[in-house]
Amino acid sequence: MKLWLRILLSGLLLIANRETRADTDKEVQAHKAVLDLAGAFSNEGFKMRDGHWTGSLKLHENALVAVNLYAGNQYWFSVGTADPAKKIEVALYDETGQRVTTEPYNEGERAAAGFTPTSSGQYYVSVSLLEGAESSFCLVYSYK
Amino acid sequence: MPRCTGYVLVLLLGALTITGAEAPRLSSDQLAKAVRNDSISIPTPGELFAALGKPGKPNWAGQFRGPLPTTYRNRAQIALNLGGLIADGFIAVEAQDGQQVKNIGTDIIKMAKALGVSENILGRGNSINEFAENNEWDALQEELEATQNEVKSSMQSHQDQDLVILVSLGGWVRGTQVVSAAVLQNYDERSAKVLRQPALVSFIHAKVNDVSAETHNDPLVKQVSDQLGAIEKLVTFPVGKAPTIEDVRAVHDAVGRVMEQIQHKPDTK
Repeated sequence: MKLWLRILLSGLLLIANRETRADTDKEVQAHKAVLDLAGAFSNEGFKMRDGHWTGSLKLHENALVAVNLYAGNQYWFSVGTADPAKKIEVALYDETGQRVTTEPYNEGERAAAGFTPTSSGQYYVSVSLLEGAESSFCLVYSYK
Repeated sequence: MPRCTGYVLVLLLGALTITGAEAPRLSSDQLAKAVRNDSISIPTPGELFAALGKPGKPNWAGQFRGPLPTTYRNRAQIALNLGGLIADGFIAVEAQDGQQVKNIGTDIIKMAKALGVSENILGRGNSINEFAENNEWDALQEELEATQNEVKSSMQSHQDQDLVILVSLGGWVRGTQVVSAAVLQNYDERSAKVLRQPALVSFIHAKVNDVSAETHNDPLVKQVSDQLGAIEKLVTFPVGKAPTIEDVRAVHDAVGRVMEQIQHKPDTK
């Protein structure tokens, strides 16, 4: 392979790696933020799921994940973000797409929604970026 | 148009917009595009058991089963049984039986090693023993889920992606077998409602259908997969309506048959 081509490819790889590293750092930061928030619910007897869901949101975008909940349990869905998010919202929808009433918690770049289903089945958690620029987020949920 | 009527119209339109913003409805297209993943969309057996325990504490120790053979040679069968064994761990935690937790923890590690998962799993085994000796039940629940996630993540990094969903499937079958048995022993509408899980079974079924042809053609996987469609129908109860005791019995019989096959089907590889 010609030298200039190797240099070009190495440069591109380096840039790609740095981009990936930066994204991972942001996700780790968002994960840390959400663990701090969800930890407060653990003090109230909620068990935190080990799994989490991360992604990236642009302003006024929302991301949706399906969850399966059991009637009788209480749940908290918590979201943390990394800079430059300013205000995030968590909402919950039932299996028909109808928004359900949740107990809101919002402190700007971190938010949560509390819910006690009366019917078991599939629900959808929506995470929206209301203020700020494109940011990484991380969602965890707790139950009791 | 009089000016005041115009204002009223503007106000009405504004009110409609606000109502729409406050109570939006997601379209079926949005729902179909929602992310579904193993670590968030599939609940742990612990969540299922927590819901079952709300109306009254079930006889968890009565749901223990005898030790499983840890010498299966078929990898798919090991993965299915590993999921079931992790569900057994959650049952032992609910029963607060430290010795049972330790026995199950040892079997989990044996099966995980048989699948060649990471050596890190050994550390999990030690933690399970330590927490069981100190009666740290909440920590044990977390450790069991972390162990399951570590097994799955090791499978993914070893190109064993197909086995991940089989672990989840084995856990769901065993969890549902135990819950339906407990509901049958002491029928209560609130407890019975936890069995409504059509979307969950549909998701697991779709993932099983999505595995490689080699795994899907495994006789045990094929046999179990063939029954998931019927089981999905059995757990599809109307929203808000509790299944009858006959409905619960039908679910219990169906998952019981699957569990028998998972446990006892002779090795084919």
